[in-house]
Amino acid sequence: MSAASSRTGRSLILLAPLLLFLIGFFVWPLFSMMSQAVSDPAVLKLLPRSAEVLADWDRKSPPSAAMQTALMEDLKAVDDDQALGDMVRRLNSARSGFRTLMGKTTSALDETANPPADLVSIDKRWEKPEFWLAIADALSPYTDRNLLAAVDFGRNAAGEIEHLPPDQSVNSVILARTFWIAGLVTFFCALIGFPYAIIAASLDGWKRDLMLGAVLLPLWTSLLVRTAAWFILLQEKGLINDLLLTLGIINSPLALIFNRTGVIIAMTHVLLPFMVLPIYSVLITIPKNLMPAAASLGAPPLRAFLRVLLPLSLRGVASGGLLVFISAIGYYITPALIGGPGDQMISSIIAFYATGSANWGMAGALGMVLLVATLVLYSVYARLSSEEPGRR
Amino acid sequence: MPMKIAKATFATLTILFLVAPLIAILPLAFTSSVILTYPIPSWSLRWFEELFFADAWRRAIVNSLIIGTGTTLLATILGTAASLGLRNRLILFRGTMRTLFLLPMVVPAVVLGVGMQVLLAGFGLTNSYLGVIIAHTVVAVPFVVVSVTGALAGIDERVELAAQSLGAAPITVFRRITLPLAMPGVLSGAVLAFATSLDEVVLTLFVAGPNQRTLARQMFSSIRENISPAIAAAAFLFIVATVVIGLVVVLSRSMLAKRR
Amino acid sequence: MAEFIRFERITKFYGPLCVVENLDLGIEKGEFVSLLGPSGSGKTTLLMMLAGFEQPTSGNILLDGTAINAVPTHKRDMGVVFQSYALFPHMSVGENIAFPLQMRGIGKAEVDERVKRALGMVQLSALVDRRPSQLSGGQQQRVALARALVFEPRVVLMDEPLGALDKNLREQMQLDIRDLHRRLGLTIVFVTHDQSEALTMSDRVAVFNKGRIEQIGTPRQVYDEPATRFVAEFIGETNLVEGVVEAVQGQEATVRLPSGAQIVSAVSGTVARGQSVFLSIRPERVDLSEARGEARNVLETEVTDSVYQGDHLRVQLQNATHPLIAKLGRRSREFPPGTKVFAAFSAGDCRVIAP
Ligand SMILES: Nc1ncnc2c1ncn2[C@@H]1O[C@H](COP(=O)(O)OP(=O)(O)O)[C@@H](O)[C@H]1O
Ligand SMILES: [Mg+2]
Repeated sequence: MSAASSRTGRSLILLAPLLLFLIGFFVWPLFSMMSQAVSDPAVLKLLPRSAEVLADWDRKSPPSAAMQTALMEDLKAVDDDQALGDMVRRLNSARSGFRTLMGKTTSALDETANPPADLVSIDKRWEKPEFWLAIADALSPYTDRNLLAAVDFGRNAAGEIEHLPPDQSVNSVILARTFWIAGLVTFFCALIGFPYAIIAASLDGWKRDLMLGAVLLPLWTSLLVRTAAWFILLQEKGLINDLLLTLGIINSPLALIFNRTGVIIAMTHVLLPFMVLPIYSVLITIPKNLMPAAASLGAPPLRAFLRVLLPLSLRGVASGGLLVFISAIGYYITPALIGGPGDQMISSIIAFYATGSANWGMAGALGMVLLVATLVLYSVYARLSSEEPGRR
Repeated sequence: MPMKIAKATFATLTILFLVAPLIAILPLAFTSSVILTYPIPSWSLRWFEELFFADAWRRAIVNSLIIGTGTTLLATILGTAASLGLRNRLILFRGTMRTLFLLPMVVPAVVLGVGMQVLLAGFGLTNSYLGVIIAHTVVAVPFVVVSVTGALAGIDERVELAAQSLGAAPITVFRRITLPLAMPGVLSGAVLAFATSLDEVVLTLFVAGPNQRTLARQMFSSIRENISPAIAAAAFLFIVATVVIGLVVVLSRSMLAKRR
Repeated sequence: MAEFIRFERITKFYGPLCVVENLDLGIEKGEFVSLLGPSGSGKTTLLMMLAGFEQPTSGNILLDGTAINAVPTHKRDMGVVFQSYALFPHMSVGENIAFPLQMRGIGKAEVDERVKRALGMVQLSALVDRRPSQLSGGQQQRVALARALVFEPRVVLMDEPLGALDKNLREQMQLDIRDLHRRLGLTIVFVTHDQSEALTMSDRVAVFNKGRIEQIGTPRQVYDEPATRFVAEFIGETNLVEGVVEAVQGQEATVRLPSGAQIVSAVSGTVARGQSVFLSIRPERVDLSEARGEARNVLETEVTDSVYQGDHLRVQLQNATHPLIAKLGRRSREFPPGTKVFAAFSAGDCRVIAP
């Protein structure tokens, strides 16, 4: 008994460092990224006293004197005009009329010579609970604004969720583009990878080694080197255009780089091994005599393929396809280097929000969308690949 | 027969598609021209000189070595210890932990990068070597875990029981039996961790400052901003390193296989 | 001889599964005891508890009079030979055998000397520098044996050590191990599911079934005087016939079969008049003849089939109510199907077993 428990203790001590490390530097960053997406403490930071008093308010009755005093104090203490502007914009989108009301209020408060007694004396609108309600809601440190915006939705003045106007609807275009590019890459990988794996599995000796080596070498090579290679091949004066021009197939160079074609070619090259290897590993478990057996039972080659090899290898195609698709939707480097502005995928947009405009809320929200999509697909993949091989 | 020719053609073309780009870039490393195109006017080593003596490139190489070494050490130690712990079937949440250890391989780098930047900024670790090493270790550790777990799974537990019955205390069993048998897995895990760190760009973009610019990061911005044959020279080094690393791993695998 | 190993009311559960149940067993110094039973009957588990790899759920294991439950494996001083040999794949043959000696802090010169002797004992002196993977199954088995013996352990435990060898090699090794046991005076606990192996090698055989010992005794005892139906069926082949006890006279009982025939038979354990019992009749103890002879027990039967099996003739018979098998020496005459014969056997050649 004690031997078993001391063994368990030892195992836990061995596991603890990595567990803590990953909780601290993997789970926690993802978590804080997601909390960036839903947190919005900007207003709370500006109006701390009001937050305290408003917590006791019943959200119906007219504002009490204490509420008014607290808000006045808070507004007087604000020294960050940028933050104040952000707050007013937010309040105004929740309750129209706030912009003018705030403008009037702040200038009244600035008049130190003749300080107003309370807010209502500045403007009658401060009597209405609706305005206070907007402030109370904005004080909440949580928001769904970013998450909604990530899929091009937002809240209107009445607080209902609605589609953003088309000029603001960039994210769904990019999401659709991301899935479209990933889908195309997956399709081309399957188109090339499936027959390739079938041929490789049907061979043996050096021919098989050569075919597998050709897949493994790029897999082992640095992603940057591969992208650089495609950059060099695809450029206007690159080898591909040179070759086609010399052969007389084209008269003027094709545009292969900084556009969709280039991105798809390079990504297919980069991800092809992830398609070939799962299919190959399923195929080599299929007994070699199945196809001859089907033939001996009278099936012509195409029928034998459709009825025997295809169903047996579909599991491999599905795993490979998922693997390629999962990797593709998160791709950043290849589209960033080979693609044009119209080929940027969701990762580029996240990076733009994070580093370009320091909009951590939007970066977090889009990151959450990508993360959830990836994890859902991965769990399907994990289930698929943990199933017993040979089960149909 | 036509079927056979079609198959051979398809296989050849695909192999060409897979391998040709990597081969095409190699000669350009030795061009004397400043542009990355064929034909090569004359041969020279000027871009390797640039790589090793131009300040930006030399620092990038040194940084990559520092960060790669740190990552390899940290990831190998953490990953090996955890793989040993995972052997115990009595541990609760064993499957969950294994999944967690492998998940950094799956999560898109940009997503992790955003979170990591926020977090490391909180600790004041952005723009520091330690921050970059930590970030690289997160994505390198799954490779160590996969590799060491695989090696440990290949050890017949009865071999360790036998050692115990022959008079070896648990720590001696570990030192004389378990560790030597798992060593090829540990080594190939370490190599993979180093390779991962060497090739990491996205996390580096998010957490590294100008002083921690790695070789991969330098290649990224040089392709983006001012592409020069120095890229081809760097790629040449990478490909040579890949072949060497590949040989090391293949050899250690076959060493492992021979023992069984 | 003093009792050396004692299992005292040992019970072992794996979760809800009871693998060894309230088991008592004593083993003497220098004795060769086999644990024989079908797969899954708990033999390995008992051996693993003796080696210290597993802890009993309850009960004590005594070695030389002292409880060793709390002694960790590496201090128990028992040599274990596993079915898979469990040689250290990264060490040479010599290093494998030196390992237990190094663990005991023995000086290099003596280690070399003893490794040499152990290798000589198993006739592998030429292979000292080979890796285990470069050895045949039989050679690996010998290395495992040498490694378990070289440090002169107090007990040697073997868990189906010959299971992976082919038949000829296995029989050779059985004799070699038996010979080593005699020469070195070893105490050996030997697990097997092969009854002929157990009978060949052991001083005593403990027959396991579902975590319990059904019978323990010399090979002759467990074969000739099976205590239970399980033992009778598991060891060798037997005819089991149901009947009712008519009378008991000392060590013999008269049993009436459903056909009405009366059989006089030796008794294992105690039976009472009127009790339903089984008769176990070994096929090779049955004689066939066309005339009713003088034997005490005679059954009227008809031959349904007869098969020549090289070393014996196997005849299937049918009595009015039950089938019967007889194994006849190879000099026996043929019995074509349909022949009416009398099957005869003495009272000592059959056994009454309470169900
Ligand atoms: N570690 C274990 N956990 C759970 N059940 C076990 C374990 N080891 C053995 N068993 C079970 O205990 C029973 C006896 O096993 P074992 O002692 O190996 O039998 P034997 O050696 O006689 O074939 C079997 O039903 C087996 O499934
Ligand atoms: Mg067993």
